[in-house]
Amino acid sequence: MKEYLNNGRLWRLCLKELRESLRDRRTIITLVLMPILVYPLLSMALQRLIVGGISKAEPEYAFLLGTQDEETAQKIQNLLMEARRVNKIGISSPIKITRSDESTNKSTVPSEDNKNAIAVSADHVGFSIVIVEKVSLASALGDAQIDLAISKLDVESVAFERETFPSYQVQVEFRQGDLRSESAMSELRRALQLLNDNQFESVRQRINARLPAVVQMKANGIGQRLDPAASIAGVIPLVLILMTITGAVYPAIDLTAGERERGTMEALIATPAPRFALLLSKYVAVVVVAILTALANLFATWITLSFGGLGQAIFGKQGFSLWILIQILPLLVIFAAFFSAILLALCSFARSFKEAQAYLIPVMLLSLGPGLVTLMPNVQFTTLLGIVPLVNILLLSRDIMTGQSELAPAFAAVFSTIIYAGATLVVASRLFGAEAATSGSQETWAELLGRPKKTRLLPTIGELAIFLAILFPVFFIASNLGGMLDLRADSAMSFQAVLLVILFMLLPLAFAWYRRLDLATTFRLKPFADPLDSTGMQVARSLGFFVSVLLLSSGLWMVAFESYLLFENWSLASHLSEEERTKLKDTFLLIPFWLVLLTGAVAPAVAEEFFFRGFALSAFRSKEAPFRSVLYTSILFGLFHVIAGNILSVEKLLPTLILGFALGWVAIKTNSLWPCILLHALHNGLVFGMSRIGETELTKWFGADTKHLPMLWLVGGGLSIMAGITLLLVASRQTRTYENIA
Amino acid sequence: MISATNLTKQFNVRGTPLIAVNNLSFQVSDGEVYGLLGPNGAGKTTTLRMVMGLLEPDSGHVEICGMRSDGQTTEMRKHIGLISTNDGVYPWLTVREMLLYFADLYAVDLQVARERLEELARLLDIGRFLDQRCSTLSTGQKQRVTLARGLMHDPPVMLLDEPTRGLDVVGSQTVFRFIDLLKERGKSVLLSTHRLDEAERVCDRFGLLHRGNLQFEGTLEELQKLTGKQHLVDIFIGLISGPVDGEPVDPARMLITTNE
Repeated sequence: MKEYLNNGRLWRLCLKELRESLRDRRTIITLVLMPILVYPLLSMALQRLIVGGISKAEPEYAFLLGTQDEETAQKIQNLLMEARRVNKIGISSPIKITRSDESTNKSTVPSEDNKNAIAVSADHVGFSIVIVEKVSLASALGDAQIDLAISKLDVESVAFERETFPSYQVQVEFRQGDLRSESAMSELRRALQLLNDNQFESVRQRINARLPAVVQMKANGIGQRLDPAASIAGVIPLVLILMTITGAVYPAIDLTAGERERGTMEALIATPAPRFALLLSKYVAVVVVAILTALANLFATWITLSFGGLGQAIFGKQGFSLWILIQILPLLVIFAAFFSAILLALCSFARSFKEAQAYLIPVMLLSLGPGLVTLMPNVQFTTLLGIVPLVNILLLSRDIMTGQSELAPAFAAVFSTIIYAGATLVVASRLFGAEAATSGSQETWAELLGRPKKTRLLPTIGELAIFLAILFPVFFIASNLGGMLDLRADSAMSFQAVLLVILFMLLPLAFAWYRRLDLATTFRLKPFADPLDSTGMQVARSLGFFVSVLLLSSGLWMVAFESYLLFENWSLASHLSEEERTKLKDTFLLIPFWLVLLTGAVAPAVAEEFFFRGFALSAFRSKEAPFRSVLYTSILFGLFHVIAGNILSVEKLLPTLILGFALGWVAIKTNSLWPCILLHALHNGLVFGMSRIGETELTKWFGADTKHLPMLWLVGGGLSIMAGITLLLVASRQTRTYENIA
Repeated sequence: MISATNLTKQFNVRGTPLIAVNNLSFQVSDGEVYGLLGPNGAGKTTTLRMVMGLLEPDSGHVEICGMRSDGQTTEMRKHIGLISTNDGVYPWLTVREMLLYFADLYAVDLQVARERLEELARLLDIGRFLDQRCSTLSTGQKQRVTLARGLMHDPPVMLLDEPTRGLDVVGSQTVFRFIDLLKERGKSVLLSTHRLDEAERVCDRFGLLHRGNLQFEGTLEELQKLTGKQHLVDIFIGLISGPVDGEPVDPARMLITTNE
């Protein structure tokens, strides 16, 4: 493998795939031509449909009130003017009554009359009054020449307490189901209601305000105001993502199924080049084309939104800014990386273009489903949704566009997408070319999913990737569930412990058994001394390991304690009030200490060691040198601790990284899981033990003004770590590792 | 040097086991052209795939230049060149790009690959169109590019899977000259074909494969002496029309495949 990754060879392999894709006219067509054609068309359609829909509530043109005769026109005009006066809005323009005849074009009438309209309030376009002649009022209304028809307006004078008051009976017709006509109706109602209100108010004043209004109402809106623009903002990532897929589809098929159709597949897989390297170069090419497509589309979107006026309608005054563009781009890259892997995996076992297309079409349709979820209003981007492929990226880009993105779901989205892409790529590399080698038998799927025939000593990194892609979502959902159950503190701890044992110990054990991995070597279950040693030597080594683990643990918990303090401000607990913290501590103190030790120290130690220092470390060791393997395992260990439940515990990263590294090193040196379990359990036990001690007692030791451990303790801890390391190095001299034997 | 020992491979075809290759052993020494002959479905391609390390034999093993198929397949493949009937070219790459790509796949040093490319361009007369896209080449030109591809990593062992199928007289001549060139350079050549007349011309030794079993192995002279027949076609029909595993063979079917 190494000789294919060095000397620029991988780059040259990628270059070949890129040349093949980019020289192909069909790729260029989807890459360049589609965005140029699609976006202007799409924007035109959107502008007509959606922006039209938004502006309905606030039309640009005044509503047209139709009357049959001048007298009615005069009366309704007076009423509206009165309403305007009542509303205390002074509009100085005189009101002109226009006459319509048959030749009047409907669309020109409103724009001309706009300046003469009577606007009752400032936020309203107002009414223009039209006297309809030659045609009947009803047909003018039906033909949408007018928005409302005042079909009847009678007035009589009513005498009341030595004064006369007018009383109007207005009969209005409007078109049902027509947004504009209905809006006009309600606006007119609102205007005329003002007159009634005014009369009531003046009567009320006369009786010295002794009579209150019948109903006094104050309405408060709850929740978020549904911004119609937000749902349109959700469309844009969807469109971008669909276009990115479109860009990746052709090269994905061409570089996999295409090899077979061109007759180059056999020659290709006959070479000693590892399939993963072949597929990796193809993957790079597909991702590059996908990203280029995304860029072309993003640019086209930006141009369309900036110059088409649609951007301001959707995103407000600043439009579709360059800043949004910069934030969306990395997401598109991650998405392209994810989807390219999926596409390659699907195309890898297709024998022809036709077959590949048949596989891809359902996938594209399926991906529309989650896409539509993001279009639904009020879908919150929770951390749980953060691990749902496709949905997570879509929701994240929607939130970025509307400026509401949060850290925890964003992290879950990016992390899980990368894991999924990696696992998919591993699957793809197994499938690629397998069909050609086994001449059309079903062995490819059986090999991938079935039980292998031969027993192996160590898992592969590919198996780890696939296992992680299963483990991560399950772990995530389960730990979220634990939070939702609202258990008592002791039950919650027990739940977590059981979960850890199932997911990190039993699941890897079952997986290893199924894949016929040697359990003893995969999980380092042999006693921690070299069986080739003499009995005396074995006892001496075991004793050395035991003591060095004791020494290490007595120092390491202090490292964890202090490194936690460094980032304590980032933790959730730091946001709690003093009172809440005391309460938490009190409930914690109520749990019996044996239960704390069992669920907080023993269970995590056993379970996590089985997975991290057992399965994961062995998988890395099958390809990598010890140092790198330990490093990768500890990063994995750290990340899993950061994603606890539905919050990010960033403060845990450094302590777990250090602990993970120490445990990995012990595992490599002693070649056994047992010292790691012991060290892990002692470490956790000591940390929990410290937290049990009351604050007052701690102050006695630490001093009142600091949370830090006393200097003397730290020096002692450092010394015992150094002693532990030295002893371990001495005791592990000349032991053979499984990797050496393998 | 190729040495196959007791190769057996069984497939499951719709639930029923089918023995594609049965306990097959043969050797090809350096500078020798070994013809693996047989009708369609005799197990030639399966054998070649096992020799390449693409298929794992159920039992037995292959040894190429001291490397065994059970455990060193990757190393083994570096020493094998493969040219087969269906070989295509990359339409969007130039000839030079495609040949250098394959050199990279065989982990050949770039400088060495460039020198070898010039040499092969002279030998196979492809120098004129080295920088043309493969899609613009004629059938004969594509064929010569494919032959050059098989030699980019200068393998000591060359597998030819029906190299003349679908070629005209000129094309076949090119292949024969190519095989001569391989012999000259001391390579072990394993040639699978069902065109017995051609095999007669180019092969030093033959293995007659029928239904996964090696029916006979030897030089043309030995075969003629054994059967009293002059031509390979007659010898072959004579050998396989007898009952195999108690099952009679339909001679009409054999005629079709041998006269193709």
